[in-house]
Amino acid sequence: MSEEILKALTQLFAIITRQDGGVTEKEREFVISFFKQDLDQDTVSEYVALYDKFSGYSKEKEEGAEKKERKSKLTSVRDSVKVLGLCKKINKTLVQKQKFVVLIKILELVGSDKKFTAQRMEIINTISTVFNIVKDEYKLIESFVLKDNVEEINFDDILLVNSKPHEEVIASNDKQAQEDDTDEVSLTKHFHSNIDGNLIFLRIRSVDMYFLKYLGDDEIVMNGFIMLKNRVYLFSHGSTIKTPRGSALYYSDLIINFNEELKTTKISFNADIQELRFPNGAIGLRGVKISEGTGKLIGIMGASGAGKTTLLNVLAGIDKPTLGSIKINGYDTNTQKERIHGVIGYVSQDDLLIEELTVYQNLYYNAKLCFADASEEEIDKRVMEVLTNLGLDQRKDLRVGGVLDKTISGGQRKRLNIALELIREPAVMFVDEPTSGLSSRDSENVIDLLKELSLKGKLIFVVIHQPSSDIYKMFDKMYIMDTGGYPVFYGNPIEAVTYFKRITNQVDSFRGQCETCGNVNPEQIFNIIEAQVVDEYGQLTNKRKITPTQWNGLYKENFNIETVEDIKEEPPVTLNIPNKLKQTVIFTVRDTLSKLSNKQYLLINLLEAPLLAVILAFIIKYRTSNGGTEYVFRFNENLPAFLMMSIVVALFMGLSVSAEEIIKDRKILKRESFLNLSWNSYLCSKIIILFVMSAIQTLMFVIVGHLILEIKDMTFSFWLVLFSISCMSNMIGLNISSAFNSAITVYILIPLLLIPQMILSGLLFSFDKLNNLISTRGTVPIVADMMASRWAFEAMAVHQFKDNTFEELYFDLEKIESQADFKASYMAKELNKKRQFIFENYQDENDSVQRIIKKDLRILAKELDNESFKEGIEDLDLSTALTIEGYNKEINTQLETYFEAYRKHYQGIYNQTVDKRDERVYKLENNPDYDYKLNDYKNKYFNQSLADLVTNATVKERIIEYRGEIIQQIDPVFNDPDKPSHLFDYRTHFYSPQKHFLGFYFDTYNFNVTVIWLMTFVFYITLYYEVLGKSLQSFGKIKLFKKKATPKK
Amino acid sequence: MRTLSFVLIFLVVLSACDSGKKPSIEEITSEEEADSTASETIIDPELIAAILQQIPSPLEISVLLQRSGTKYDGSLLNNPDNTSKYNSNYQKAINLGIYGTDLGYTNIYEQNQDGLEFMSAISTLAEGLSIGQFFELATIGRLATNSKNLDSLLLITTQNFNNINAHLQEQDRSNLSVLLLVGGWLEALHVTCQVSAKDPSNQELIDVIGEQKIILEQLELLLSFYSTKNPNMKDLHESFLRLKTAYDEIEITIIPGEPVSKVVDGVLIIENTDRSEVKITQENVDNITSIVEEIRTKAIN
Repeated sequence: MSEEILKALTQLFAIITRQDGGVTEKEREFVISFFKQDLDQDTVSEYVALYDKFSGYSKEKEEGAEKKERKSKLTSVRDSVKVLGLCKKINKTLVQKQKFVVLIKILELVGSDKKFTAQRMEIINTISTVFNIVKDEYKLIESFVLKDNVEEINFDDILLVNSKPHEEVIASNDKQAQEDDTDEVSLTKHFHSNIDGNLIFLRIRSVDMYFLKYLGDDEIVMNGFIMLKNRVYLFSHGSTIKTPRGSALYYSDLIINFNEELKTTKISFNADIQELRFPNGAIGLRGVKISEGTGKLIGIMGASGAGKTTLLNVLAGIDKPTLGSIKINGYDTNTQKERIHGVIGYVSQDDLLIEELTVYQNLYYNAKLCFADASEEEIDKRVMEVLTNLGLDQRKDLRVGGVLDKTISGGQRKRLNIALELIREPAVMFVDEPTSGLSSRDSENVIDLLKELSLKGKLIFVVIHQPSSDIYKMFDKMYIMDTGGYPVFYGNPIEAVTYFKRITNQVDSFRGQCETCGNVNPEQIFNIIEAQVVDEYGQLTNKRKITPTQWNGLYKENFNIETVEDIKEEPPVTLNIPNKLKQTVIFTVRDTLSKLSNKQYLLINLLEAPLLAVILAFIIKYRTSNGGTEYVFRFNENLPAFLMMSIVVALFMGLSVSAEEIIKDRKILKRESFLNLSWNSYLCSKIIILFVMSAIQTLMFVIVGHLILEIKDMTFSFWLVLFSISCMSNMIGLNISSAFNSAITVYILIPLLLIPQMILSGLLFSFDKLNNLISTRGTVPIVADMMASRWAFEAMAVHQFKDNTFEELYFDLEKIESQADFKASYMAKELNKKRQFIFENYQDENDSVQRIIKKDLRILAKELDNESFKEGIEDLDLSTALTIEGYNKEINTQLETYFEAYRKHYQGIYNQTVDKRDERVYKLENNPDYDYKLNDYKNKYFNQSLADLVTNATVKERIIEYRGEIIQQIDPVFNDPDKPSHLFDYRTHFYSPQKHFLGFYFDTYNFNVTVIWLMTFVFYITLYYEVLGKSLQSFGKIKLFKKKATPKK
Repeated sequence: MRTLSFVLIFLVVLSACDSGKKPSIEEITSEEEADSTASETIIDPELIAAILQQIPSPLEISVLLQRSGTKYDGSLLNNPDNTSKYNSNYQKAINLGIYGTDLGYTNIYEQNQDGLEFMSAISTLAEGLSIGQFFELATIGRLATNSKNLDSLLLITTQNFNNINAHLQEQDRSNLSVLLLVGGWLEALHVTCQVSAKDPSNQELIDVIGEQKIILEQLELLLSFYSTKNPNMKDLHESFLRLKTAYDEIEITIIPGEPVSKVVDGVLIIENTDRSEVKITQENVDNITSIVEEIRTKAIN
């Protein structure tokens, strides 16, 4: 209090007491005692002198009584003016709460001698008006301070504490009400305690302050001071009142009686955790029993590593106790999750904010996920309300920002974290270290907020570390743990200090707080708990005086926790989550906004693709055609490599853009797990955003790449392949993102995922020339079939070759040509050779020769069976004729002529088709409608290098025999696959023009793109069920068992 | 707004890729179905074989040129880089013939660097015609080393051609043999005409040009067999008919001589000493040259 104010107060006191008969001795004593509370001896006398001067205390004795009366009227006007002036001065500096204190002091002053003259009361009335105190409240305060008789004080905001049994008071009230017809109903609240007389509590609603006075003969001690009779005291947070006979009265227990809201929300919380074991076998918690009802703020304290957060997690139902249960209103939080869903709120120690969004957006989308039926205005209103309550309304449009680029302060972040839970008003909240890293002011604000919530009926558990005295006192109860998960104290916070002092026989053990300043030092508790033994040299040893187990033993002796009766009703829930589709929309919008606000991320992601395309395409734009100097697409030898690199780029971009997605959100997911939101919706939102991103990236890549390399008419089809592969890659990324817990692990994994895709894409290494264990001839190896890159590359290569504007005019003919040529030039020869060999050796008895003959016969039979041209062998029964037993000279001659006819037949087809093709070219070139120049078309649309690749032009052995089958090596792109061996047979050779499955034939391009999407879908399923994460977990478990088996040393 | 402009740019890019009328496969196949009545003429393969045997190797002209002292001129020959232009079998075959003559020409003048380029062009085209096996490096290499020995060179090339012819004949693709031959002959005539145009006083060359009348008649006959089968052949045949008209004014009279027998390396050989006399004017030569150039230009482009 400043000097000025004190002076003003002194004057006020003086003016009031001067009225109507002057100062009495009692009044003067009261003023002196008031000064003594705040001032030292010297200043007290100074102010007393001042008071005496203004009140005319000494003069009074000299002057006669006559004079007084004459003067009184004159002074009253002057005094009124003076009072007004003083009050205005006070108004400027004191806050409303302090003004109430002043008013009460003045009333008390007047009441000290019971001289309630009209003038005095009028002045006080004026003061209260100038102080802007509401009439009703003034009346309340006046009667609270001045009336000595309990019966006369009958207000809603009064609480009486006396020895009358509670039931009786209620009953008599009811009775009265019936008899007197509402007029004389007792409005006061009642609380039972075994004391003489009455303790009267007053609540001033407008400023939420509490005062008390005592009327009785007991020695009542408040916060270590003996209470004077009929003196008004401020009842501050955490105060304790001790009565000689009854048990202590605590602030929270008393205040709760004023709270009406509590009657509507009813919560019982009963935790009985006998044991919690960590996965590695260590015990985290033992014998924790907590029982609480509505509207409490419970602190959890303990040395570091004592298991505070563990306890909080178990209480919140995040971790499951090994033995024991946690029940809210009788519903088990672990087994009956669905019954209490939305009841629990959890604020973790970490920031669970979406850094890219603004403060408002963070809350807004959270609210949208919580209240499905609320309209936009309602949600906006709710958000603004919470923001205003938390003092964040000025910051609402600031981006939350990350650890490195903070835009809002730590305290604001913490408050926002709490706000996120607050907005849906869970009945039970768990807050982990809300004050860590905050300034003392911010800490106080945060705890204040929690306190207020608890007063509104929430049950709040807070893990707190090194609280300041003020914060410490705000808790209703304190749960103290010692290393190893042992509970050592459970009860009133200030009691804790005395309890530990008492146990260790310290002096002054009954005083919990400082007598003069009211401070509590919670550090003391831990100093006592962790006190170490001193050795003979005076050095501290590592040994504790009292071990955690011993403390726990004392705890068991001293504390008997009464279980709160389970409330038999559903816990109050305000949560109403939207349907899955709406959730998806909300998630998508939220995520999109957060991505859009991250300019760096956006820029890199959008520029990456075109930049890579420029670099890649520019470098491989091979400029020399045959003899010419200008670039001709047809002669760019790098096209196959470009396709391959495009796939790698798409895979890479897809993986890297998605790999961090779920990891980044993990914290937010943890928070939202209490909302029980749809995992599917969340994934869908991710997928939508990533797919859109992939679509844009690949499109830009394709457009830029194709413009530079002059790839024409392939824009959409290549884009679709790259988009598909990028989407599949997104899905892989999401899978690993959901399974691993750090972004670095995921980025390390990327090469592991990409390189096999590159190796088995079909371009870098020929499928024919792989390790014998993998390699197959005539079909793509199964390992390669599992690589999306191989499907993508095949799709692009075959599509580019087959459907480019040049080739599409001739592909049909060239296919017939190629097939006929192969049969005429190679197949006929090969089969005839086999026939020759069989004929020469079929009567040979040698086993190995017989084996070859058998195999050759089988091949012949198979090929002939599949052959459509059968002129000359129509009547031959292949199954009997082509066996060692059935083979003879006639058959041989028949076959020999057949093969000649076969060759001629296909040669004829070949020649015809060649002519037909030449004719087609001739017609096109000579048709004025088309302006068709074959070479121009070929230069523009056809790529020689790719054609060589898909026709396997460089292969030496054009026909080979592999595992009893004749395999065509040349022209795979013209070679229709063999008949499928069963319905689900999809396997063909690489670059096959068409694929078969389920008895249908499909175009390779469509088929392969479908396969990639199928893979994407499969990865979605594994993502949805978190297959990878779960299998990793079980893998981790196996390891642990092994460790356990080794004996401990 | 930004997205809108992006979409616009995208549409422009897309539409820019798609200008001019392109033939569609549906259109073409439907047209083909409409006139699939093209008549098939069967040609007696033996007749063709007989005619093919009578035509001398174009290599002889190259030898003649070298002997007459003209200098090597690579610019007269077809560019070996042109192979990529030849897409139809017709083009491949006729240009394979042309390159064959060019290779022979470079061989005789021992221009090995150019020769190598022609070799690679030849193997590319041969590969395209599925007769690559006849032009493997070993065979062509033998041609190169034998450049000094004209007789053996002639023998090898003739043998090789016969082999190719037999192979194609077997595959009913004798039209390609004809084209090979026509190409080779056309190139030889072209080189002779060009050299002659630079050195009009060289009567020997003019006579050679005139003497081609006999060969031309045979080639024209061969082409006529195929002209109904293939529109390209038909065009070629028509241009050969024009060349034939140009040759109509030239008269060749054969002056018979006594056959002379002599012993070479212990083998008795009977030599024909018939001589031919050619009546040809410079105007004829110019006319022929221009038609030959026209046909060749069409063939190599």
